[in-house]
Amino acid sequence: MLSLFLDLLHDAFFSAIPALGFAILFNVPQRYLGYCALAGALGHSARTLLMHVNMPIEWATFAAAALVGVITIQFAKRHLAPPLMYAVAAIIPMVPGTYAFNTVIALIQLTAQSQVSPELSAQVIVNGLKTVFILGALAVGLALPSLLYYRNRPII
Amino acid sequence: MYADNQNDITRLVVRSAQLLLAYGADSDLVEELSQRLGKALGLASVELSISSNALVLTSLVHGRCITTTRRIRAHGINMMVVCELQRLCLLTEKGVYGANEVRRRLARIKPKTYPAKIVIPIIGISCASFCHLFGGDLMACILTFVASSIGMAVRLYFSKRHYNLLVNFAITAFVTNVVAQLGYIFPLTDTPQVTLAASVLMLVPGFPLINAISDMVKGHINVGISRWGNASLLTLASVIGITIAMQLGGIF
Repeated sequence: MLSLFLDLLHDAFFSAIPALGFAILFNVPQRYLGYCALAGALGHSARTLLMHVNMPIEWATFAAAALVGVITIQFAKRHLAPPLMYAVAAIIPMVPGTYAFNTVIALIQLTAQSQVSPELSAQVIVNGLKTVFILGALAVGLALPSLLYYRNRPII
Repeated sequence: MYADNQNDITRLVVRSAQLLLAYGADSDLVEELSQRLGKALGLASVELSISSNALVLTSLVHGRCITTTRRIRAHGINMMVVCELQRLCLLTEKGVYGANEVRRRLARIKPKTYPAKIVIPIIGISCASFCHLFGGDLMACILTFVASSIGMAVRLYFSKRHYNLLVNFAITAFVTNVVAQLGYIFPLTDTPQVTLAASVLMLVPGFPLINAISDMVKGHINVGISRWGNASLLTLASVIGITIAMQLGGIF
């Protein structure tokens, strides 16, 4: 139990850094940077927790992105700032970087060879599908609160 | 409301919509904010047609329409501007600002960015933490830090000189990847693969991608698709840079 807690804390710390970094890259005003980092940390550690209870990564990402959506809308209401400002920086740590990279590498290797090898094709398909579905889960999960709850009302 | 007054207010509204789109707000926000700003300043209705690189806005008062078009040039993501405009709209709605004050504020908005000496190291540290999250060892993280800091410096250098964004991304990906490949050449780390994957993650087009889905889900299909196309092209450009670097490095 303690080790799980420490794992989550470790996870939260190392995902808060990229969220902060990308918030700076997107020129988020200084007083909101901490909230971007907080939302990023909560989102990524929520995903780790869900994956710990054996949820597939796509569904865990979807739930975590929805959580980030809810949290960032609360931030937005409090600060009168657009919610996507927090949300995009916050979901950056969950972007499927390794899957996307492995897809590309396998594709390049497949191109370099003269015949189609089943191992490389399998690698392209498996990693490519993971990438696409995780990205979709991130984007749709983020839009979920405004689709289900806010519908046509303005958030702020 | 007199005709020249409507003209003035329409100009203010279209200017704010243009700024919002140029600095990376999603279509729903642009539409909502300009309609609210227009109504707060006394227009009866404001209708927008947004496409990927232009904006058409019609304002209506007392059965009299004014339609105006603005070209939009993307200036990169700047949330400070978007935040400022959101606040402007809300304060106008509450009656704090009138048309003259809005004009003054709009003229004063300058896209401030963080200085390079902050952005470069923080992006380096961000990519190093990606490397750590993906299971790289300490040396891999340090190498990632170096590679992506150099990459970020290259990216800022080229964007300052107004190079095409696709060219910029391809060159940045190439340079970053070349530096990251040092992990293969020297026996520094046991996980050189992770370094390669993590160091190019600063090129993920996060905002275009999320804006694209957010637009498409909320009914702005054509803007969403063009943003999606833009994000895919940027990804493709980075992939080309990575491919060239890896072919030269002879990793496979």
